[in-house]
Amino acid sequence: MSVSELKERHAVATETVNNLRDRLRQRRLQLLDTDVSKYSAAQGRSPVKFGATDLVCCRTLLGHTGKVYSLDWTPERNRIVSASQDGRLIVWNALTSQKTHAIKLPCAWVMTCAFSPNGQTVACGGLDSVCSIFSLSSTADKDGTVPVSRTLSGHRGYVSCCQYVPNEDAHLITSSGDQTCVLWDVTTGLKTSVFGGEFQSGHTGDVLSVSFSGSNRNWFISGSCDTTACLWDTRAASRAVRTFHGHEGDVNTVKFFPDGYRFGTGSDDGTCRLYDLRTGHQLQVYHQANGDGENLPVTSIAFSASGRLLFAGYANNSTCYVWDTLLGEVVLDLGELQDSHKNRISCLGMSADGSALCTGSWDSNLKIWAFGGHRRVI
Amino acid sequence: MEVGSSNSSGQLSGRAVDTRGKHRIHAQLNRLQQEARFLEEELELLEKMDNASASCKEFLDSVDSKPDPLLPQTIGPVNTTWDQWFERPKEAKRCGCFIL
Repeated sequence: MSVSELKERHAVATETVNNLRDRLRQRRLQLLDTDVSKYSAAQGRSPVKFGATDLVCCRTLLGHTGKVYSLDWTPERNRIVSASQDGRLIVWNALTSQKTHAIKLPCAWVMTCAFSPNGQTVACGGLDSVCSIFSLSSTADKDGTVPVSRTLSGHRGYVSCCQYVPNEDAHLITSSGDQTCVLWDVTTGLKTSVFGGEFQSGHTGDVLSVSFSGSNRNWFISGSCDTTACLWDTRAASRAVRTFHGHEGDVNTVKFFPDGYRFGTGSDDGTCRLYDLRTGHQLQVYHQANGDGENLPVTSIAFSASGRLLFAGYANNSTCYVWDTLLGEVVLDLGELQDSHKNRISCLGMSADGSALCTGSWDSNLKIWAFGGHRRVI
Repeated sequence: MEVGSSNSSGQLSGRAVDTRGKHRIHAQLNRLQQEARFLEEELELLEKMDNASASCKEFLDSVDSKPDPLLPQTIGPVNTTWDQWFERPKEAKRCGCFIL
């Protein structure tokens, strides 16, 4: 076949794909007879009401000397690892506010960090395009340098996010500016699977975030600069299970809903969205118009234990909206509470038991927020 | 990849350049055809899909079924660790790191 014939077929195939995408969009619109907030209002539900001192900042974790970019809780025992522009990972006991480790990184340009399920190792990645693993039982020298116990190299772009597979200390997923996600075997340092990329269907832009399902560790979601989120099955890397459209800007952050059958996203288009895994429906858009009409990018999100609350950090000074996910309303702004951060909140994480939210900020601090008011149990 | 013959000035012949373009277009075409198949499968699934209202009901049921420490009003059971952030620490330990 000649090049011109191939080009003709390419044009026809592009037209076919665009038509199919349009038909899909139309069909999905037909199925969207309501959204969560309209449905909840019709059911007579009213928004969550917080008293002035219900959610409080109960800890400020001081120690980083640069912007905090990422944080992750252990599955148990209330420890947090954080990564900062200062080129260090710090491991904290969140209850006592004390630092147990301060690891000086070989590459200071870190973007992400994660705790292993057993809490004995931490992983990080960034502009060096590798994911480095550190054992917390290794001895640091006086400068805080700890030997890297494993380097996961192979990405051809920055590592934007890393997450361990739930209950598997030997496997983790990374997302990258090279448009792929990779499942790694930490014990060998080798790639087990590549999701997307040049030869497989997947994202067509930098991948910025990944999140694992708590209920099914074979599933994970990725969010990308191509404005979509994808659901992947780790056992079948050749194609995404489903692609979720709707956002009009980079999808900076994705987080599974607590029950594992829905997930949330946050984007440069200023909205958070809620999607249903099984049907692919966009169930809700969470958007509050800014005073000056500009869209404030969403930097990070986290759900409360029931999913009733969605915490969202934005790319301005300290705003952290608390959304009532049922009614689609902002019920609180952590940035307006006492002891709030003094700069952008770049990362959020919920503790394993749901009793505390940790926020990390460009002001170099981490803060722990918990419910200190009167709780009514029904 | 086929390397075409080069002329005396070292430039690749048109045939080699043409081959490289052809492979790339072929790979893109394969991806598009694969994408079309995936989209057709998804369209078929959508024909039998429930409306969003069914998914919204599932969502509400899920939210209402879980205890939540950060809500002013929640179902039980309450976990005793929920209020650990407001209790006195059991023991104070010296900070373990050397820096700062």
